[in-house]
Amino acid sequence: MLRVSNIVVTLPNGKRLVDDISFTVGRGEFVAVLGSSGAGKSLTLRCIVGLTKPNQGEIALEGPTGKTYKTTTRKASELRRARRHIGLIFQGANLVKRLTVLENVMLGRLGYINPLRSWFFGFKDSEARDAMMALDRVKLAHFAARMAGSLSGGEMQRVSIARAIYQRPLIYLADEPISSLDPKNAESIMKILQPLSRETPVIGAFHQPALVAKYCTRAIGVRMGKIVYDGPAQMSPRELENIYGGTDSEPLITMGDTGQQPPFYGSDMQRALHEGVIA
Amino acid sequence: MASAGFFQTVPAGQDTPFMQWKRGIAMQRWKQVAIAVLLIALVWLSAWRCEVHIATFVLGVNKGLPIVEMFFPPEWGDILGMLPALGVTTVMALIATIFGMIFSLPCALAASTNIAPKPVRLVMRCFIALERGLPEIVQLLLLIAIFGLGAIPGLLALCISSIGMLAKLLADGIEEIEPHMLEAVAGTGATSSQVVRYAVIPEILPALLAQGLFRFEFNVRAGVILGALGAGGIGYIMSTAMASLDYQRACMATLLTLALTFGTERVSDFLRSRVLRGGMLK
Repeated sequence: MLRVSNIVVTLPNGKRLVDDISFTVGRGEFVAVLGSSGAGKSLTLRCIVGLTKPNQGEIALEGPTGKTYKTTTRKASELRRARRHIGLIFQGANLVKRLTVLENVMLGRLGYINPLRSWFFGFKDSEARDAMMALDRVKLAHFAARMAGSLSGGEMQRVSIARAIYQRPLIYLADEPISSLDPKNAESIMKILQPLSRETPVIGAFHQPALVAKYCTRAIGVRMGKIVYDGPAQMSPRELENIYGGTDSEPLITMGDTGQQPPFYGSDMQRALHEGVIA
Repeated sequence: MASAGFFQTVPAGQDTPFMQWKRGIAMQRWKQVAIAVLLIALVWLSAWRCEVHIATFVLGVNKGLPIVEMFFPPEWGDILGMLPALGVTTVMALIATIFGMIFSLPCALAASTNIAPKPVRLVMRCFIALERGLPEIVQLLLLIAIFGLGAIPGLLALCISSIGMLAKLLADGIEEIEPHMLEAVAGTGATSSQVVRYAVIPEILPALLAQGLFRFEFNVRAGVILGALGAGGIGYIMSTAMASLDYQRACMATLLTLALTFGTERVSDFLRSRVLRGGMLK
């Protein structure tokens, strides 16, 4: 189970990019985080993997044995241990293009391998067989020996899902996994993620309310760094209007307390991330 | 005089835009003339000071033509005797390139913004800049003072400058790697050394090979020059032949040098296209 409690990400000038976001994701859930560009979706997801450090709040991942892993920790080794349990699926796949497809899948469990062994001996046959099974789940086993750079965008995205599956995580984290894909490929990615979410929860940022309504179990709407909707994935037009809005003015309905300044607008966050102010 | 003002002439001394333009143009002309005169004066002054005369060129050409004739025919008999020297130059360039490629990789990693921490990076960037700031010839002369004449100082000079150049090019290549790709690998809980092994190195290996091949061509040419200064090889044969006025032998060495540089260029072009093509799509 993933527990995000009261995380805040602040720019040096005091603007709040993520403003007191809390939620939990449990068994069997396929959670979609919705919101316009720069609303704080990606930043929240980055905080969950520890790629961005929140200024306040805590993020904890609970394993089946009751052990918790915190990605808000300052210790590098503890963060690495926590990251092993998060299966990352990025927008644009981010495969290492000059490694084979199977090697890319095997990168998923790099965190469990002794660095010395990974430098000088590479992967074991048993690992390669496991990775083949993960690749088979996304129906790309026949591409195992191809170079990752020679695949199409949709295929790359499926390989990155196989990498996350092979990692055997406690939660899958997908940052806009279908944004750069055509409708058919997008649908096929959702069809892979949906059954996965029954075994291990999936949380992802999306821009497609229709697909979210069709495949997800729950939606979280983020606007200006705050959660403005948390409920079933099938949303009414009014609820969608509330998340995306026509203007950048105050949202129509606010969940939680109101009366705070609107924290930020998109371009600031992009620039801050680019310059590494937050990270 | 009824329509006074229509044909009114401009009183002397009054400024109109046209007058301003005319004055501007005249000023420009004067500036141009002044600059031309200054340049001619400088050329004349320096020629007078350094005692350069047109006559020297004419006489030089007259004197030079018979000397050019003395280069021909080349001393074909020396070809077998020169092959070992040719080999020395080639092997020197090859070893320097290989060492350069091996050692430039850690240097490049330490010099790139997305891998190394700031203090390490600054030290390494300074080191590379220093290495690149000294031309090979200066390095060779310093090394000859330490190791004496021969192939070793030449080899070392080529190695050092190869490391400097390749490290700089590679560091730039590493900095261009997509940050999300590195994050994706680091996000699985991998250590930074594993990120280097499985994300950085596979991505820059083709660039390292392609630039290494370029450097090999360069090392062959530089090796000939360093050879002439005492580092052995075909360059040394060339300089001794010239010094002993054995022009036909020098001509033979020149032809062999040409063959060597053309040859290495063809080979490296071929290999480079293979590397770049083979690495992209399989």
